[in-house]
Amino acid sequence: MVALPWGRSAGRDATPDRVTGDRSGRARVTILALMVFVMLAAIASLGTGAAGVSLSDVLMKWISGEELTLRERVVLFDIRLPRLLTGMLVGASLAVSGAVMQGLFRNPLADPGIVGVGAGAGLGAVLAIVLGAFLPPAILAVAGMHLVPLAAFFGGWATTLILYRVSTRAGRTSVATMLLAGIALGALSGALTGILVYIADDQQLRDLTFWGLGSLAGASWAKLSAAAPIMVLALLVAPMLARALNGLALGEGAAAHLGIAVQRMKNLAILTVAAATGAAVAVSGGIGFIGIVVPHLLRLVMGPDHRFLLPAAALLGAGLLLLADIISRLIIAPAELPIGIVTAVLGGPVFLWILLRRRGIVDM
Amino acid sequence: MLDARDISVTLGRKQVLHGAGLSAKPGAMTVIVGPNGSGKTTLLRAITGDLASRGTVTLDGQDMRALAPHALAERRAVLPQASVLAFPFTVHEVVRLGLTGRIALRPDAAHLPTRALERVGLAGYGARFFQELSGGEQARAQLARVLLQVWEPVQDGTPRWLFLDEPVAALDIGHQLQVMHLAQRFARAGGGVIAVMHDLNLTAMFSDRVVLMLDGRVLAQGAVQDVLTDQNLSRAYGCRLRVSSPPAQGATYILPQAAEIA
Repeated sequence: MVALPWGRSAGRDATPDRVTGDRSGRARVTILALMVFVMLAAIASLGTGAAGVSLSDVLMKWISGEELTLRERVVLFDIRLPRLLTGMLVGASLAVSGAVMQGLFRNPLADPGIVGVGAGAGLGAVLAIVLGAFLPPAILAVAGMHLVPLAAFFGGWATTLILYRVSTRAGRTSVATMLLAGIALGALSGALTGILVYIADDQQLRDLTFWGLGSLAGASWAKLSAAAPIMVLALLVAPMLARALNGLALGEGAAAHLGIAVQRMKNLAILTVAAATGAAVAVSGGIGFIGIVVPHLLRLVMGPDHRFLLPAAALLGAGLLLLADIISRLIIAPAELPIGIVTAVLGGPVFLWILLRRRGIVDM
Repeated sequence: MLDARDISVTLGRKQVLHGAGLSAKPGAMTVIVGPNGSGKTTLLRAITGDLASRGTVTLDGQDMRALAPHALAERRAVLPQASVLAFPFTVHEVVRLGLTGRIALRPDAAHLPTRALERVGLAGYGARFFQELSGGEQARAQLARVLLQVWEPVQDGTPRWLFLDEPVAALDIGHQLQVMHLAQRFARAGGGVIAVMHDLNLTAMFSDRVVLMLDGRVLAQGAVQDVLTDQNLSRAYGCRLRVSSPPAQGATYILPQAAEIA
């Protein structure tokens, strides 16, 4: 990697990072590049869809001051725009919760989808969908649209707490215990979800089906407005965890000696993971591999410093999910593939590649 | 002035410290020695707050455990025994983690990690991955991080402290001397140093005050020549030891051979 003229790798002097070992300049350049990537992906996403509304036509009309047709307005502003924003927020949330969880567990294989947090959030959401109907109308009126994302948050939170208690002793996480406990928790959540599906009625069943596969097709302003505040909050809190997660990489004792309030930060990290994963699962179902692949690729490029990793993960997660969503809309157009299938087909092999490269991690 | 009084620690069902205590002054190097299992690391960990303990630890009259983590981090840094790093940080990035609190606001802060690495003899190692260093190099890189955290031994008239848990255990003799000189220089500049050591000769050479432990209690503490005596050492280590002095300088050194000959 050559030091770019505008990369401020070591303060005033421009020594390349492979001499000083300071990769912060490279990280800043990466983040700028990712911003451009997300913008391009967003434009491509707005212009893609089964309705055949093209972005250039709309732009030409806008420039010449011509009125958009009703169809164009509905497609762009009521279908594609909420879908775009949902995709960006979900992608950012999944990638950031992966990065935070990996920092918390001090392990690059921790991912909400793999260790059952996604399944726990799913159970919470299904509980809300199926049993919500039995709640007193007064509570429903207050909770309204927020009931499903909130329930997903609590499901994810409970799972993360249990997982942390089971697999971490005296600040050291056993990878094998974490993965196995994650399988057990995921299976348990899946089984309970299955039982709920039996008591669901037809309308609820339709709601539940889109879920299992993971899709952005159901995105709407209503769903987005229910889940977006939780995701935005989690994304804003995450950077505050950066210094603590860097310190935790040295171990809990060393982190405390660096002046980090370890217990408080760990609790905040768990809440952040649960909020981001829960809300993402609530709007889009189980979209896998973003949380593990994105932080891993970024660590290869710019190192594991969480001050840069967390914002970069948000950007790359958002951009990649938009790309996956575009693929899901194009590959069998005019029908569309659930996006969870696309991320699994792309992410699965990358995950295996990570395992092959770093088999030592699992043997710990 | 650091004062630890009546420190007791119970690990599981076993009480490993029985009312141990020590006092240490800034500007001096205080070294805790004792046989394996005597509780020297436990005492240090109780003082640094790594272990829950009964008793009191005060720093300039303030209860050390009542200080907030960030306030404490401004006052003292702790070098742990070998630790496992979770992610592939470069050496520079590990050292930079010590750049915390007021030191990070200095205009030359970006250059300090490199200078800290030079100080521990790791100039040019910044771009290497920490996990790829040898055990001894890792220990010195961690020392650079810890030195960076308390870069100025005295800040605004307040002395700062270094707690070192077996700082030379993984090092060859040249680097042992280098690290001991670094710690000594920190103390000479007005900072306080408390170290746990195994090597009695390095202890005799560098410490201003020695705390000798046995079975979770402090057997003796004070100046080197008062504590490291034939009688104390033979009792603590359970073998015959004789303290000797090279005739010219009069410094203390310990040779097991001397006891066998006598």
